[in-house]
Amino acid sequence: MSQATGLMQADASSQRHARRAGSRAALRAEASAMRDALAAEWVKLRTLPGSPWLLLAVVVTTVAVSAAASAATRCPAGVPCTADPARVCLSGIYLGQAVVAILGVLIVSGEYSTGMISVTLAALPRRTTVLTAKAVIVTGLTLAAGTVAVGGSLLAGAMILPGHGFTSAGGFPDLSLAGGTVLRAAAGSVLYLGLIGLLAVGAAAAFREAAAAIGTVLGLLYLFPVIAALAASRIWQRHLQQVGPMTAGLEIQATRNLHSLVISPWAGLGVLAAWAAGALIAGGLLLRLRDA
Amino acid sequence: MNESIEVTGLRKRFGPVLALDGMTFAVPPGQVTGFVGPNGSGKSTTMRVILGLDAPDEGHALVGGRPYASLTRPLTRLGSLLDAGALQPGRTARNHLLWLARSQGLSARRVDELIGQAGLELAARRRAGGYSLGMRQRLGIAAAMLADPPAVMFDEPVNGMDPEGIVWVRGFLRSLAAEGRAVLVSSHLMSELEDTADHLVIVGRGRVIADTSTAELLAKASGGRVVVRTTAADRAAAVLTGDGGTVAPAGPGALTVSGLPAARVLTVLSGNGVPVSEVAAHRASLEEAYLELTASSVEYRAAGEMAREVAR
Amino acid sequence: MTAGTTARQWPAPAPAAAEHGGFWRAVLAEWTKFRSVRGLVIGTVVAALAMLLVGLFAAGSARFTCPGGPGFPTKTGAACLPRIPRGPGGQAVTDSFYFVHQPLAANGSITAAVTSLTGVHAAGNGQTGAGPGGAGPLAGMTKGIVGWAKAGIIIKTSTSQGTAYAAMMATGGHGVRMQYDFTQDIAGLAGQVSPSAPRWLRLTRSGDTITGYDSADGSRWARVGTVRLTGLPATVQAGLFVTSPVETQTTSSFGGTTSNGGPSQATGIFGHVSLSGAAPGKAWAGANIGAGRGSPGTGVGGFHQAGGAITVTGSGDIAPVVAGPTSYFPTATIEDHLVGTFAGLIAMAVIAAMFITTEYRRGLIRLTLAATPRRGEVLAAKAVVVGAVTFAAGLAASVIAVVAGPRLSRDMGLYVLPVSLPTGLRVIAGTAALLAVAAVFALALGTVLRRSAVAVTAAIVLLVLPYILGVASVLPAGPAEWLLRVTPAAAFAIQQSVPAYHQVSGPYGPPVYFPLGPWSGFAVLCGWTALALGLATYLLRRRDA
Repeated sequence: MSQATGLMQADASSQRHARRAGSRAALRAEASAMRDALAAEWVKLRTLPGSPWLLLAVVVTTVAVSAAASAATRCPAGVPCTADPARVCLSGIYLGQAVVAILGVLIVSGEYSTGMISVTLAALPRRTTVLTAKAVIVTGLTLAAGTVAVGGSLLAGAMILPGHGFTSAGGFPDLSLAGGTVLRAAAGSVLYLGLIGLLAVGAAAAFREAAAAIGTVLGLLYLFPVIAALAASRIWQRHLQQVGPMTAGLEIQATRNLHSLVISPWAGLGVLAAWAAGALIAGGLLLRLRDA
Repeated sequence: MNESIEVTGLRKRFGPVLALDGMTFAVPPGQVTGFVGPNGSGKSTTMRVILGLDAPDEGHALVGGRPYASLTRPLTRLGSLLDAGALQPGRTARNHLLWLARSQGLSARRVDELIGQAGLELAARRRAGGYSLGMRQRLGIAAAMLADPPAVMFDEPVNGMDPEGIVWVRGFLRSLAAEGRAVLVSSHLMSELEDTADHLVIVGRGRVIADTSTAELLAKASGGRVVVRTTAADRAAAVLTGDGGTVAPAGPGALTVSGLPAARVLTVLSGNGVPVSEVAAHRASLEEAYLELTASSVEYRAAGEMAREVAR
Repeated sequence: MTAGTTARQWPAPAPAAAEHGGFWRAVLAEWTKFRSVRGLVIGTVVAALAMLLVGLFAAGSARFTCPGGPGFPTKTGAACLPRIPRGPGGQAVTDSFYFVHQPLAANGSITAAVTSLTGVHAAGNGQTGAGPGGAGPLAGMTKGIVGWAKAGIIIKTSTSQGTAYAAMMATGGHGVRMQYDFTQDIAGLAGQVSPSAPRWLRLTRSGDTITGYDSADGSRWARVGTVRLTGLPATVQAGLFVTSPVETQTTSSFGGTTSNGGPSQATGIFGHVSLSGAAPGKAWAGANIGAGRGSPGTGVGGFHQAGGAITVTGSGDIAPVVAGPTSYFPTATIEDHLVGTFAGLIAMAVIAAMFITTEYRRGLIRLTLAATPRRGEVLAAKAVVVGAVTFAAGLAASVIAVVAGPRLSRDMGLYVLPVSLPTGLRVIAGTAALLAVAAVFALALGTVLRRSAVAVTAAIVLLVLPYILGVASVLPAGPAEWLLRVTPAAAFAIQQSVPAYHQVSGPYGPPVYFPLGPWSGFAVLCGWTALALGLATYLLRRRDA
């Protein structure tokens, strides 16, 4: 307790000091602290035996499920078909996001389970800086893995789907990034994964316990569509889909039937971003307020 | 001898490291057997094998003549404390002991009895997450004693304890042996066991270097030397040399005599009217004896330790 | 030996009160562990509450309104509940058709040849054509017969809705069928009816046994089926009927389904009608059974006789009510109130996985295995404790949800499809069992993986994601259905209270209908759990602790 209070006082006094010394020096100090934190977190994650496997798993699960979905979907000419080729060939995100969530949770809760958090906070007493560094590292890695995963999924879709009736002649968008909506779906899906990583980092900082954090993240993602599907009220169905981080966030993948979306694509991604920001703020506050 | 612990020819390899290399010894009842060796010499692995937690590649360990894993209600045969930190932080001491008691078919009353014995009354209903290391050790010892086993085994029990606690543990171990129990206690510090252990099993690099009683080991290391304190060192040296002793100075006003027993030294000096303030048999420290014995394995100590850490 | 010479500092324990078996001791120890960690106990209570509240919210979120009739204010809630007839089996049924009937007081038989079956239906079924046009109930309808339009002969207890019956009929797209008591269906001659290919139908009554025959030419007859309608009164109604069901197209979009469609009606022409055993001198009487507001049909119906032929027009259906958006009134099933099972499942997966992974993290597993060296017993004891706790929590939540939920739904104006007591008990106990087995599954995964985050994710992804992919229509129907057959999510079939009927067209997909039957779906989860437990036991035994 006394140690924690000491850390927080140090934090506060260094901030006061920084204010006195002028904003430029303060900024420089902040930047250097951030740089150190980032370097430290990067080394930690890089040397954690599981993390390369998790990143690989993000790519593999996403591309595998996407390709399987593409292979299973057919839209023969002459039959009305509501399927959206971009959604189909990016459907691996439904599974890939779970792996991203594991990565985000483990980078934080792994330190609590081993007690390493006290070492980390002794080396870097600014707790928000530590959390920010972790968030940045997770986002960076997730965006990188997500780009590969989404790229692979699109490639598989572009090879498979036109043979299954999804042709531009049939009124379907071409699965090339030249098309505005497809580019939006692809880039949005990568961003979606990055935001899921942030949501997981925030939840893990708030809960500390890995199982509780991952359960909460997956509950947030998966429960909204399930409850919406069985809600008796149409209005509530729509509302639930508009506020659910997955249901709203994945509307970014739409390239057809845009009028029937529950929320517009970018606004939907914004809903997910709001969830992620909320989780990070809650996690950051709890990290500062609680004893390590 | 039926209630003792017997370890025969244990071999175990962790990746490239041979952690146990033919470990063989027995722990007789009614004695405190010290299990000593440098870090990484295989003490904890041996204890885990005895408890059936690690499977040896070769050899076997018996408790009361049977493999531990075949015992019904095993805590009634062997109590142990390997890691005092192995607690669920959210569970109270009382509940920790209670689940162990349930696993052995013991009543909740037994738990309350033990809490009193271990001096945990004040902490019993607090969550274990907030315990000091010493309290955890006491709780671990209480857990080991839960089913009143005829044999007990402690891995570094005084680690992290305050001096008062250390004295308490020593007395506790002696009393267990006095009750006729077989007691195996490991340490990497010889001095911890000096006044406690009747018998020592000294290990290095996964095998037994010496298996001897503490008295014997000390006598061997002492080499029959006698220390004499006198104000007339020169005269004393002369008469003792005349009687067949070998005398060496040992600081101001002190001599070390070898070749003569202490009683003879005293007779010779007093017969010659040499004033003496003290005549005593030299007592080698256990540390010295230990270092002498383990000298050969010490050079490998550091390397072995590192490799084991990697293998874990 | 110095035993006995020194006073014992550590007294011997009192002998155990009762000598239990080793496994029972392990179970008691694990139960003590579970109940003594506040997080696990609170988590279990939270799981049960979440399950209950989510379920009640989903059902109670909508209050339905309906027109109150000319000159009356709009009605809401329970006042809107339609009066739905119940069949002999107690299930909700649709019983609306045009009935041309005569009393039949004794044994006898009725014979008729269906020579034509045509119809119209609401637009949007893919066929186009000039509709009858104009105003009225048929405005905007297109020509065409729907698959389960029916024209045939029927012997029915009375003209009241929901009473027992047996019928032989020609259908729009499924050949000749013999159907009885709403849920039963036997196939007869295949092929479409036309003037050149009439379908001869015959029903004979002998006491309460009715036998159906069909023939393509009126001379060579084949028996289709014999049924016993218990409690058939002496005087029954026999005659001709025509009906045509609501035809709906359902499109699922993310998380919801939208249905388009509407009523249809059919016209059948019957020749060679003969009724033996009827009172002499009686004429055919027409009755539009179940017509009126709230009926599933167009309300149009009638018959006329000309030159030995009887033409009958009718709309509606004689069939069990199936759940889902195709229903012409808002329905709910009892399991709709159990949607919170997913919330409870996620929470219990977390708790079950933590029950083992925290032991690994703290090294407590070594103490556990020192106390109970038979490692398989340790895992089995943990499974029993986690399973029993989860079952109890799940049972409490699902009993309340299934008892209180439907009341709430009825107050909101939702018609809750009635189920038999055994089915209700199966849904309630099955939900608790599903949660319990899923928790054991998570425990086994936790033992195998030793990392709670990975174990919890694996359990949730395997149990919940296939369901979402099915419901959200991300995947086409085929693969989504396949996932609900092979993944542990198949177990949600145990919650399905209303069966799918092949003789009623409906949206037979999740979230209401599952590809596997209740128990076979549950068995899939049990199989996965057995595999995971087997692997966990093997690894626990083999690995150094």
